[in-house]
Amino acid sequence: MIILENVSKTYSTGVPALEDINLRVEKGEFVFIVGNSGSGKSTLIKLLLKELEPSEGKIYVNKRFLNKITRRKLPQLRRDIGVVFQDFRLLEDRNVYDNVAFAMKVVEAPNRLIRGQVLSMLSMVGLLNKNDTFPKQMSGGEQQRVAIARALVNNPSILLCDEPTGNLDPENSWEIMKVLEEANRRGTTVVVVTHNMEIVDAMKKRTVTMNGGKIISDVKQGGGLYYED
Amino acid sequence: MKISSVGYSVRQGFKNIRRNRMFSIASVATISACIFLFGIFFAMLMNFRNMFQEFEKNLCVTVFFDEGITEEQIAQLGEQIRVREEVDNVHFTSAEEAWNDYQIDYFKGYEEARDTFGDDNPLMDSSSYEIYLSDASKQVALVEFLNTLEGIRSVYYSASTADNLTDIAVIIGYVSVVIIAILLAVSVFLISNTVAIGVTVRKEEISIMKLIGATDSFVKAPFVVEGVTIGLLGSLIPLLIIYFAYEYVVSYVSSRFGLFGNASWFLGVNDIYIYLLPIAVVLGIGIGFVGSHITLRKHVRI
Repeated sequence: MIILENVSKTYSTGVPALEDINLRVEKGEFVFIVGNSGSGKSTLIKLLLKELEPSEGKIYVNKRFLNKITRRKLPQLRRDIGVVFQDFRLLEDRNVYDNVAFAMKVVEAPNRLIRGQVLSMLSMVGLLNKNDTFPKQMSGGEQQRVAIARALVNNPSILLCDEPTGNLDPENSWEIMKVLEEANRRGTTVVVVTHNMEIVDAMKKRTVTMNGGKIISDVKQGGGLYYED
Repeated sequence: MKISSVGYSVRQGFKNIRRNRMFSIASVATISACIFLFGIFFAMLMNFRNMFQEFEKNLCVTVFFDEGITEEQIAQLGEQIRVREEVDNVHFTSAEEAWNDYQIDYFKGYEEARDTFGDDNPLMDSSSYEIYLSDASKQVALVEFLNTLEGIRSVYYSASTADNLTDIAVIIGYVSVVIIAILLAVSVFLISNTVAIGVTVRKEEISIMKLIGATDSFVKAPFVVEGVTIGLLGSLIPLLIIYFAYEYVVSYVSSRFGLFGNASWFLGVNDIYIYLLPIAVVLGIGIGFVGSHITLRKHVRI
Protein backbone atom coordinates (compact mmCIF):
# COMPACT_ATOMS: atom_id res chain seq x y z
CA MET A 1 0.00 0.00 0.00
CA ILE A 2 2.75 2.48 0.99
CA ILE A 3 6.37 1.69 0.16
CA LEU A 4 9.38 3.94 0.68
CA GLU A 5 12.71 2.61 -0.58
CA ASN A 6 15.91 4.39 0.44
CA VAL A 7 14.14 7.73 0.46
CA SER A 8 16.10 10.86 1.31
CA LYS A 9 14.98 14.45 1.18
CA THR A 10 17.28 17.45 1.40
CA TYR A 11 15.72 20.90 1.21
CA SER A 12 17.14 23.54 -1.11
CA THR A 13 18.71 25.18 1.94
CA GLY A 14 20.90 22.08 2.24
CA VAL A 15 19.15 20.86 5.40
CA PRO A 16 18.60 17.09 5.28
CA ALA A 17 15.05 16.27 6.41
CA LEU A 18 14.98 12.54 5.70
CA GLU A 19 17.86 10.10 5.30
CA ASP A 20 17.61 6.68 3.74
CA ILE A 21 14.07 5.88 4.87
CA ASN A 22 12.73 2.38 4.24
CA LEU A 23 9.14 1.83 5.25
CA ARG A 24 6.36 -0.48 4.21
CA VAL A 25 2.75 -0.06 5.33
CA GLU A 26 0.33 -2.82 4.36
CA LYS A 27 -3.32 -2.48 3.48
CA GLY A 28 -5.58 -2.12 6.53
CA GLU A 29 -2.75 -1.29 8.95
CA PHE A 30 -2.91 1.34 11.71
CA VAL A 31 0.52 2.96 12.14
CA PHE A 32 1.76 5.66 14.46
CA ILE A 33 4.76 7.70 13.39
CA VAL A 34 6.35 9.41 16.38
CA GLY A 35 9.37 11.59 16.91
CA ASN A 36 10.38 14.99 18.16
CA SER A 37 10.07 18.20 16.18
CA GLY A 38 12.31 18.24 13.13
CA SER A 39 12.52 14.46 12.98
CA GLY A 40 11.09 14.45 9.46
CA LYS A 41 7.51 13.28 10.18
CA SER A 42 5.79 16.11 8.32
CA THR A 43 8.21 15.83 5.40
CA LEU A 44 7.22 12.17 5.17
CA ILE A 45 3.50 13.09 4.90
CA LYS A 46 4.26 15.70 2.24
CA LEU A 47 6.21 13.17 0.20
CA LEU A 48 3.29 10.74 0.30
CA LEU A 49 0.95 13.47 -1.01
CA LYS A 50 3.57 14.47 -3.56
CA GLU A 51 3.63 17.99 -2.20
CA LEU A 52 7.38 17.42 -2.17
CA GLU A 53 9.69 15.34 -4.36
CA PRO A 54 12.26 13.01 -2.77
CA SER A 55 15.89 13.87 -3.41
CA GLU A 56 16.65 10.15 -3.64
CA GLY A 57 14.81 6.84 -3.43
CA LYS A 58 11.49 5.50 -4.63
CA ILE A 59 7.97 5.99 -3.26
CA TYR A 60 4.94 3.86 -4.13
CA VAL A 61 1.40 4.58 -2.92
CA ASN A 62 -1.40 2.21 -3.94
CA LYS A 63 0.85 0.72 -6.62
CA ARG A 64 1.47 4.17 -8.09
CA PHE A 65 5.12 5.10 -8.54
CA LEU A 66 5.10 8.65 -7.20
CA ASN A 67 8.48 9.65 -8.64
CA LYS A 68 7.06 9.31 -12.16
CA ILE A 69 3.46 10.39 -11.66
CA THR A 70 2.45 13.34 -13.89
CA ARG A 71 0.75 16.51 -12.74
CA ARG A 72 -2.38 15.43 -14.59
CA LYS A 73 -2.57 12.16 -12.65
CA LEU A 74 -1.92 13.82 -9.29
CA PRO A 75 -5.62 14.41 -8.43
CA GLN A 76 -6.30 10.68 -8.85
CA LEU A 77 -3.55 9.85 -6.37
CA ARG A 78 -4.82 12.37 -3.83
CA ARG A 79 -8.43 11.22 -4.09
CA ASP A 80 -7.25 7.94 -2.70
CA ILE A 81 -5.62 9.56 0.35
CA GLY A 82 -7.62 11.39 3.03
CA VAL A 83 -5.69 13.97 5.06
CA VAL A 84 -6.33 15.36 8.55
CA PHE A 85 -4.32 18.28 9.95
CA GLN A 86 -3.53 19.52 13.42
CA ASP A 87 -5.31 22.83 12.78
CA PHE A 88 -8.39 21.13 11.19
CA ARG A 89 -8.32 23.43 8.12
CA LEU A 90 -12.09 23.72 7.82
CA LEU A 91 -13.73 26.45 5.72
CA GLU A 92 -15.03 28.98 8.24
CA ASP A 93 -17.74 30.35 5.93
CA ARG A 94 -19.43 26.98 5.48
CA ASN A 95 -21.38 24.84 7.90
CA VAL A 96 -20.48 21.28 8.86
CA TYR A 97 -22.54 19.70 6.11
CA ASP A 98 -21.05 21.96 3.42
CA ASN A 99 -17.51 21.43 4.66
CA VAL A 100 -17.87 17.69 4.22
CA ALA A 101 -19.87 17.95 0.98
CA PHE A 102 -17.15 20.28 -0.36
CA ALA A 103 -14.73 17.33 -0.53
CA MET A 104 -17.17 15.44 -2.76
CA LYS A 105 -17.92 18.46 -4.91
CA VAL A 106 -14.28 19.18 -5.66
CA VAL A 107 -13.76 15.63 -6.88
CA GLU A 108 -16.89 16.12 -9.00
CA ALA A 109 -18.89 13.31 -7.41
CA PRO A 110 -22.44 12.92 -8.77
CA ASN A 111 -24.84 15.24 -6.91
CA ARG A 112 -27.30 12.44 -6.14
CA LEU A 113 -24.65 10.63 -4.08
CA ILE A 114 -23.46 13.58 -2.04
CA ARG A 115 -26.20 13.98 0.55
CA GLY A 116 -26.41 10.33 1.60
CA GLN A 117 -22.65 9.92 1.80
CA VAL A 118 -22.12 13.14 3.80
CA LEU A 119 -24.80 12.27 6.32
CA SER A 120 -23.42 8.77 6.70
CA MET A 121 -19.94 10.19 7.44
CA LEU A 122 -21.34 12.72 9.93
CA SER A 123 -23.15 9.89 11.62
CA MET A 124 -19.90 7.91 11.87
CA VAL A 125 -18.08 10.80 13.58
CA GLY A 126 -21.12 11.45 15.79
CA LEU A 127 -22.05 14.89 14.45
CA LEU A 128 -25.27 14.18 12.59
CA ASN A 129 -27.18 16.62 14.81
CA LYS A 130 -24.68 19.44 14.09
CA ASN A 131 -24.75 19.50 10.32
CA ASP A 132 -25.84 23.13 10.07
CA THR A 133 -23.41 24.42 12.71
CA PHE A 134 -20.43 26.57 11.67
CA PRO A 135 -16.85 25.58 12.67
CA LYS A 136 -16.41 28.62 14.95
CA GLN A 137 -19.38 27.47 17.05
CA MET A 138 -17.78 24.07 17.73
CA SER A 139 -15.14 22.71 20.11
CA GLY A 140 -11.73 21.67 18.76
CA GLY A 141 -12.62 18.02 19.08
CA GLU A 142 -15.81 18.49 17.10
CA GLN A 143 -13.97 20.44 14.41
CA GLN A 144 -11.42 17.67 14.09
CA ARG A 145 -14.21 15.13 13.73
CA VAL A 146 -15.65 17.23 10.87
CA ALA A 147 -12.18 17.23 9.30
CA ILE A 148 -12.04 13.43 9.59
CA ALA A 149 -15.49 13.10 8.04
CA ARG A 150 -14.28 15.31 5.19
CA ALA A 151 -11.12 13.22 4.76
CA LEU A 152 -13.12 9.97 4.64
CA VAL A 153 -16.16 11.03 2.63
CA ASN A 154 -14.60 10.04 -0.71
CA ASN A 155 -13.76 6.57 0.63
CA PRO A 156 -9.98 6.87 0.38
CA SER A 157 -7.97 3.73 0.99
CA ILE A 158 -5.43 5.62 3.10
CA LEU A 159 -5.99 8.20 5.86
CA LEU A 160 -2.98 10.37 6.76
CA CYS A 161 -3.29 12.30 10.03
CA ASP A 162 -0.70 14.96 10.85
CA GLU A 163 -0.83 15.59 14.62
CA PRO A 164 -4.62 15.17 14.74
CA THR A 165 -4.78 15.64 18.50
CA GLY A 166 -2.12 18.35 18.72
CA ASN A 167 -4.63 21.05 19.58
CA LEU A 168 -6.99 18.95 21.70
CA ASP A 169 -7.43 18.10 25.37
CA PRO A 170 -7.06 14.43 26.45
CA GLU A 171 -10.79 13.73 26.42
CA ASN A 172 -11.26 15.04 22.88
CA SER A 173 -8.06 13.32 21.78
CA TRP A 174 -9.52 9.98 22.79
CA GLU A 175 -12.71 10.75 20.90
CA ILE A 176 -10.66 11.37 17.77
CA MET A 177 -8.71 8.14 18.23
CA LYS A 178 -11.93 6.21 18.54
CA VAL A 179 -13.10 7.66 15.24
CA LEU A 180 -9.78 6.79 13.57
CA GLU A 181 -9.98 3.27 14.91
CA GLU A 182 -13.49 2.95 13.54
CA ALA A 183 -12.28 4.11 10.12
CA ASN A 184 -9.49 1.52 10.32
CA ARG A 185 -11.97 -1.17 11.34
CA ARG A 186 -13.95 -0.33 8.19
CA GLY A 187 -10.86 -1.07 6.09
CA THR A 188 -9.02 2.23 5.72
CA THR A 189 -5.25 2.17 6.20
CA VAL A 190 -4.52 4.79 8.87
CA VAL A 191 -1.17 6.56 9.39
CA VAL A 192 -1.04 8.91 12.37
CA VAL A 193 1.85 11.28 12.99
CA THR A 194 1.74 12.30 16.64
CA HIS A 195 3.51 13.59 19.73
CA ASN A 196 0.87 12.18 22.04
CA MET A 197 2.76 9.41 23.81
CA GLU A 198 -0.06 8.61 26.19
CA ILE A 199 -2.30 7.62 23.30
CA VAL A 200 0.46 5.75 21.45
CA ASP A 201 1.28 3.80 24.61
CA ALA A 202 -2.32 2.93 25.27
CA MET A 203 -3.41 1.93 21.80
CA LYS A 204 -0.75 -0.72 21.19
CA LYS A 205 -0.52 -0.19 17.44
CA ARG A 206 2.51 -0.45 15.16
CA THR A 207 4.79 2.47 15.99
CA VAL A 208 7.55 3.89 13.83
CA THR A 209 9.94 6.22 15.66
CA MET A 210 11.93 8.85 13.82
CA ASN A 211 14.84 10.94 14.93
CA GLY A 212 16.99 13.33 12.92
CA GLY A 213 15.40 12.26 9.65
CA LYS A 214 15.97 8.53 10.23
CA ILE A 215 13.78 5.67 11.41
CA ILE A 216 15.29 4.52 14.67
CA SER A 217 12.72 1.90 15.57
CA ASP A 218 9.70 0.15 14.11
CA VAL A 219 7.70 -1.79 16.71
CA LYS A 220 4.78 -3.93 15.59
CA GLN A 221 2.81 -3.63 18.84
CA GLY A 222 3.65 -0.15 20.08
CA GLY A 223 3.83 1.13 23.60
CA GLY A 224 6.37 2.41 26.03
CA LEU A 225 9.96 1.55 25.46
CA TYR A 226 10.55 2.47 21.88
CA TYR A 227 10.88 6.21 22.06
CA GLU A 228 13.38 8.57 23.62
CA ASP A 229 13.06 12.28 23.16
CA MET B 1 -14.16 19.02 -15.91
CA LYS B 2 -17.64 17.50 -15.76
CA ILE B 3 -20.73 19.34 -17.00
CA SER B 4 -22.31 18.96 -13.55
CA SER B 5 -19.47 21.02 -12.07
CA VAL B 6 -20.09 23.97 -14.38
CA GLY B 7 -22.90 25.31 -12.17
CA TYR B 8 -20.64 25.09 -9.12
CA SER B 9 -17.82 26.97 -10.88
CA VAL B 10 -20.19 29.69 -12.09
CA ARG B 11 -21.65 30.18 -8.58
CA GLN B 12 -18.18 30.35 -7.06
CA GLY B 13 -17.06 32.78 -9.76
CA PHE B 14 -19.96 35.15 -8.98
CA LYS B 15 -19.21 34.77 -5.29
CA ASN B 16 -15.62 35.91 -5.95
CA ILE B 17 -16.91 38.99 -7.76
CA ARG B 18 -19.20 39.88 -4.86
CA ARG B 19 -16.44 39.35 -2.29
CA ASN B 20 -14.01 41.52 -4.25
CA ARG B 21 -16.63 44.09 -5.10
CA MET B 22 -14.40 47.18 -5.25
CA PHE B 23 -11.71 45.57 -7.36
CA SER B 24 -14.28 44.00 -9.63
CA ILE B 25 -15.92 47.39 -10.19
CA ALA B 26 -12.52 48.98 -10.91
CA SER B 27 -11.73 46.26 -13.43
CA VAL B 28 -15.13 46.56 -15.11
CA ALA B 29 -14.65 50.35 -15.30
CA THR B 30 -11.21 50.05 -16.91
CA ILE B 31 -12.31 47.51 -19.46
CA SER B 32 -15.38 49.65 -20.12
CA ALA B 33 -13.13 52.65 -20.77
CA CYS B 34 -10.95 50.57 -23.06
CA ILE B 35 -13.82 49.17 -25.06
CA PHE B 36 -15.63 52.53 -25.05
CA LEU B 37 -12.63 54.13 -26.74
CA PHE B 38 -12.27 51.15 -29.01
CA GLY B 39 -15.94 51.50 -29.97
CA ILE B 40 -15.55 55.20 -30.71
CA PHE B 41 -12.46 54.69 -32.86
CA PHE B 42 -14.10 51.75 -34.54
CA ALA B 43 -17.21 53.79 -35.36
CA MET B 44 -15.04 56.67 -36.60
CA LEU B 45 -12.96 54.40 -38.79
CA MET B 46 -16.01 52.69 -40.23
CA ASN B 47 -17.57 56.06 -40.97
CA PHE B 48 -14.35 57.32 -42.51
CA ARG B 49 -14.11 54.26 -44.67
CA ASN B 50 -17.70 54.73 -45.70
CA MET B 51 -17.20 58.41 -46.49
CA PHE B 52 -14.06 57.58 -48.34
CA GLN B 53 -15.86 54.99 -50.42
CA GLU B 54 -18.72 57.40 -51.10
CA PHE B 55 -16.19 60.04 -52.00
CA GLU B 56 -14.31 57.67 -54.26
CA LYS B 57 -17.53 56.70 -55.97
CA ASN B 58 -18.21 60.37 -56.74
CA LEU B 59 -14.61 61.35 -57.36
CA CYS B 60 -14.20 62.02 -61.01
CA VAL B 61 -11.75 63.69 -63.36
CA THR B 62 -13.37 65.77 -66.06
CA VAL B 63 -11.67 66.36 -69.39
CA PHE B 64 -12.68 68.96 -71.99
CA PHE B 65 -11.61 68.73 -75.60
CA ASP B 66 -9.86 71.07 -78.03
CA GLU B 67 -12.14 73.20 -80.15
CA GLY B 68 -13.15 71.68 -83.48
CA ILE B 69 -12.43 68.10 -82.39
CA THR B 70 -14.46 65.49 -84.29
CA GLU B 71 -16.80 63.00 -82.68
CA GLU B 72 -14.60 60.21 -84.00
CA GLN B 73 -11.55 61.66 -82.27
CA ILE B 74 -13.57 61.98 -79.03
CA ALA B 75 -14.60 58.34 -79.31
CA GLN B 76 -10.95 57.32 -79.85
CA LEU B 77 -9.88 59.25 -76.76
CA GLY B 78 -12.67 57.50 -74.86
CA GLU B 79 -11.27 54.09 -75.86
CA GLN B 80 -7.76 55.06 -74.74
CA ILE B 81 -9.06 56.23 -71.37
CA ARG B 82 -11.38 53.29 -70.69
CA VAL B 83 -8.62 50.67 -70.87
CA ARG B 84 -6.57 52.36 -68.11
CA GLU B 85 -6.49 50.40 -64.82
CA GLU B 86 -7.16 53.57 -62.77
CA VAL B 87 -10.53 53.97 -64.48
CA ASP B 88 -13.74 52.47 -63.17
CA ASN B 89 -16.07 53.91 -65.80
CA VAL B 90 -16.33 56.82 -68.19
CA HIS B 91 -19.38 58.96 -68.87
CA PHE B 92 -19.68 61.20 -71.93
CA THR B 93 -21.56 64.47 -71.59
CA SER B 94 -22.35 66.18 -74.88
CA ALA B 95 -22.47 69.99 -75.15
CA GLU B 96 -26.30 69.82 -75.27
CA GLU B 97 -26.51 67.74 -72.11
CA ALA B 98 -24.09 70.07 -70.39
CA TRP B 99 -26.26 73.08 -71.26
CA ASN B 100 -29.44 71.30 -70.17
CA ASP B 101 -27.89 70.33 -66.83
CA TYR B 102 -26.61 73.86 -66.37
CA GLN B 103 -30.07 75.31 -66.98
CA ILE B 104 -31.64 72.94 -64.44
CA ASP B 105 -28.98 73.73 -61.84
CA TYR B 106 -28.78 77.51 -62.23
CA PHE B 107 -31.90 78.89 -63.90
CA LYS B 108 -34.58 77.21 -61.82
CA GLY B 109 -37.08 79.97 -61.06
CA TYR B 110 -35.29 82.39 -63.40
CA GLU B 111 -36.65 81.07 -66.65
CA GLU B 112 -36.71 84.61 -68.23
CA ALA B 113 -32.95 84.88 -67.83
CA ARG B 114 -32.55 81.53 -69.54
CA ASP B 115 -34.83 82.55 -72.37
CA THR B 116 -32.47 85.41 -73.33
CA PHE B 117 -30.12 82.73 -74.72
CA GLY B 118 -32.79 81.59 -77.17
CA ASP B 119 -31.55 78.51 -79.08
CA ASP B 120 -27.87 79.34 -78.58
CA ASN B 121 -25.73 76.93 -76.61
CA PRO B 122 -23.14 78.98 -74.73
CA LEU B 123 -21.42 75.73 -73.72
CA MET B 124 -20.88 74.84 -77.37
CA ASP B 125 -17.39 73.38 -76.86
CA SER B 126 -18.13 71.93 -73.49
CA SER B 127 -18.67 68.29 -74.23
CA SER B 128 -16.66 66.27 -71.75
CA TYR B 129 -15.74 62.91 -70.33
CA GLU B 130 -16.36 62.33 -66.63
CA ILE B 131 -13.92 59.66 -65.64
CA TYR B 132 -14.73 57.77 -62.42
CA LEU B 133 -11.77 56.26 -60.61
CA SER B 134 -11.33 52.74 -59.32
CA ASP B 135 -9.14 54.07 -56.48
CA ALA B 136 -8.74 57.68 -55.28
CA SER B 137 -5.00 57.30 -54.78
CA LYS B 138 -4.52 56.62 -58.50
CA GLN B 139 -5.85 60.02 -59.49
CA VAL B 140 -2.45 61.65 -59.96
CA ALA B 141 -1.23 58.92 -62.30
CA LEU B 142 -4.36 59.23 -64.41
CA VAL B 143 -4.14 63.02 -64.62
CA GLU B 144 -0.51 62.76 -65.75
CA PHE B 145 -1.56 60.35 -68.45
CA LEU B 146 -4.48 62.53 -69.60
CA ASN B 147 -2.21 65.57 -69.93
CA THR B 148 -0.09 63.70 -72.48
CA LEU B 149 -3.07 63.00 -74.77
CA GLU B 150 -3.65 64.94 -77.99
CA GLY B 151 -7.01 66.74 -78.34
CA ILE B 152 -7.57 67.46 -74.66
CA ARG B 153 -7.91 71.13 -73.71
CA SER B 154 -8.07 70.83 -69.95
CA VAL B 155 -8.27 68.33 -67.14
CA TYR B 156 -10.22 69.18 -63.96
CA TYR B 157 -9.69 67.27 -60.73
CA SER B 158 -9.50 67.88 -56.99
CA ALA B 159 -6.24 66.46 -55.73
CA SER B 160 -6.09 67.86 -52.23
CA THR B 161 -9.35 66.39 -50.90
CA ALA B 162 -8.41 62.88 -51.93
CA ASP B 163 -4.99 63.14 -50.31
CA ASN B 164 -6.37 64.66 -47.10
CA LEU B 165 -8.95 61.95 -46.63
CA THR B 166 -6.36 59.23 -47.07
CA ASP B 167 -4.04 60.92 -44.57
CA ILE B 168 -6.75 61.39 -41.93
CA ALA B 169 -7.85 57.77 -42.17
CA VAL B 170 -4.27 56.55 -41.77
CA ILE B 171 -3.57 58.83 -38.78
CA ILE B 172 -6.78 57.81 -37.02
CA GLY B 173 -5.90 54.19 -37.66
CA TYR B 174 -2.44 54.50 -36.08
CA VAL B 175 -3.57 56.57 -33.10
CA SER B 176 -6.39 54.18 -32.31
CA VAL B 177 -4.14 51.12 -32.52
CA VAL B 178 -1.69 52.67 -30.04
CA ILE B 179 -4.33 53.86 -27.56
CA ILE B 180 -6.25 50.61 -27.69
CA ALA B 181 -3.07 48.56 -27.21
CA ILE B 182 -2.18 50.56 -24.09
CA LEU B 183 -5.69 50.22 -22.68
CA LEU B 184 -5.75 46.51 -23.44
CA ALA B 185 -2.53 46.02 -21.50
CA VAL B 186 -3.90 48.03 -18.55
CA SER B 187 -7.14 46.03 -18.59
CA VAL B 188 -5.36 42.68 -18.64
CA PHE B 189 -3.14 43.85 -15.78
CA LEU B 190 -6.10 45.02 -13.67
CA ILE B 191 -8.14 41.90 -14.26
CA SER B 192 -5.21 39.67 -13.38
CA ASN B 193 -4.75 41.67 -10.17
CA THR B 194 -8.43 41.35 -9.28
CA VAL B 195 -8.29 37.61 -9.82
CA ALA B 196 -5.04 37.45 -7.81
CA ILE B 197 -6.85 39.03 -4.86
CA GLY B 198 -9.58 36.39 -5.16
CA VAL B 199 -6.93 33.69 -5.22
CA THR B 200 -5.26 35.14 -2.10
CA VAL B 201 -8.57 35.37 -0.22
CA ARG B 202 -9.30 31.74 -1.08
CA LYS B 203 -5.76 30.45 -0.60
CA GLU B 204 -6.76 28.07 2.19
CA GLU B 205 -9.71 26.74 0.22
CA ILE B 206 -7.53 26.21 -2.86
CA SER B 207 -4.86 24.34 -0.91
CA ILE B 208 -7.53 22.08 0.62
CA MET B 209 -9.07 21.50 -2.80
CA LYS B 210 -5.70 20.48 -4.18
CA LEU B 211 -5.02 18.07 -1.32
CA ILE B 212 -8.43 16.48 -1.65
CA GLY B 213 -7.73 15.80 -5.32
CA ALA B 214 -9.47 18.54 -7.30
CA THR B 215 -8.29 18.74 -10.89
CA ASP B 216 -6.42 21.75 -12.16
CA SER B 217 -9.33 22.90 -14.27
CA PHE B 218 -11.80 22.54 -11.39
CA VAL B 219 -9.66 24.76 -9.15
CA LYS B 220 -9.17 27.35 -11.87
CA ALA B 221 -12.66 27.45 -13.38
CA PRO B 222 -14.28 29.84 -10.82
CA PHE B 223 -11.49 32.37 -11.36
CA VAL B 224 -11.82 32.13 -15.12
CA VAL B 225 -15.58 32.65 -14.70
CA GLU B 226 -14.79 35.72 -12.57
CA GLY B 227 -12.40 37.17 -15.16
CA VAL B 228 -14.64 36.44 -18.12
CA THR B 229 -17.73 37.88 -16.37
CA ILE B 230 -15.85 41.08 -15.55
CA GLY B 231 -14.66 41.24 -19.17
CA LEU B 232 -18.16 40.65 -20.51
CA LEU B 233 -19.69 43.35 -18.27
CA GLY B 234 -16.86 45.67 -19.27
CA SER B 235 -17.80 45.23 -22.92
CA LEU B 236 -21.59 45.39 -22.61
CA ILE B 237 -21.69 48.69 -20.66
CA PRO B 238 -19.82 50.78 -23.28
CA LEU B 239 -21.69 49.03 -26.09
CA LEU B 240 -24.98 50.17 -24.57
CA ILE B 241 -23.72 53.72 -24.04
CA ILE B 242 -22.35 54.04 -27.58
CA TYR B 243 -25.52 52.55 -29.04
CA PHE B 244 -27.76 55.20 -27.52
CA ALA B 245 -25.30 58.11 -27.86
CA TYR B 246 -24.40 57.47 -31.49
CA GLU B 247 -27.39 59.11 -33.19
CA TYR B 248 -27.02 62.26 -31.06
CA VAL B 249 -23.33 62.54 -31.85
CA VAL B 250 -23.92 62.05 -35.58
CA SER B 251 -26.58 64.77 -35.76
CA TYR B 252 -24.42 67.12 -33.66
CA VAL B 253 -21.32 66.57 -35.81
CA SER B 254 -23.29 66.96 -39.07
CA SER B 255 -24.87 70.22 -37.99
CA ARG B 256 -21.68 71.61 -36.46
CA PHE B 257 -18.94 70.81 -38.95
CA GLY B 258 -19.24 71.78 -42.61
CA LEU B 259 -16.86 69.11 -43.82
CA PHE B 260 -19.24 66.40 -42.68
CA GLY B 261 -22.29 68.43 -43.55
CA ASN B 262 -24.14 65.60 -45.15
CA ALA B 263 -25.66 63.36 -42.45
CA SER B 264 -26.36 60.66 -45.03
CA TRP B 265 -22.61 60.13 -45.26
CA PHE B 266 -22.71 58.59 -41.76
CA LEU B 267 -23.47 54.93 -41.26
CA GLY B 268 -26.50 53.92 -39.19
CA VAL B 269 -25.77 52.55 -35.71
CA ASN B 270 -26.93 49.08 -36.73
CA ASP B 271 -24.52 48.99 -39.68
CA ILE B 272 -21.69 49.57 -37.22
CA TYR B 273 -22.96 47.19 -34.52
CA ILE B 274 -23.07 44.25 -36.91
CA TYR B 275 -19.28 44.33 -36.61
CA LEU B 276 -18.68 46.22 -33.36
CA LEU B 277 -20.91 44.06 -31.13
CA PRO B 278 -19.20 40.70 -31.75
CA ILE B 279 -15.71 42.23 -31.86
CA ALA B 280 -16.18 44.14 -28.58
CA VAL B 281 -17.76 41.18 -26.77
CA VAL B 282 -14.98 38.84 -27.90
CA LEU B 283 -12.45 41.49 -26.88
CA GLY B 284 -13.99 41.84 -23.38
CA ILE B 285 -14.18 38.10 -22.83
CA GLY B 286 -10.66 37.72 -24.22
CA ILE B 287 -9.26 40.31 -21.80
CA GLY B 288 -10.95 38.48 -18.91
CA PHE B 289 -9.72 35.10 -20.07
CA VAL B 290 -6.12 36.16 -20.63
CA GLY B 291 -6.02 38.25 -17.43
CA SER B 292 -7.27 35.43 -15.22
CA HIS B 293 -4.97 32.87 -16.84
CA ILE B 294 -1.90 35.02 -16.25
CA THR B 295 -2.70 35.03 -12.52
CA LEU B 296 -3.67 31.37 -12.34
CA ARG B 297 -0.48 30.23 -14.04
CA LYS B 298 1.48 32.15 -11.48
CA HIS B 299 -0.49 31.40 -8.31
CA VAL B 300 -2.36 28.13 -8.72
CA ARG B 301 -0.07 25.19 -9.24
CA ILE B 302 -1.10 21.79 -8.04
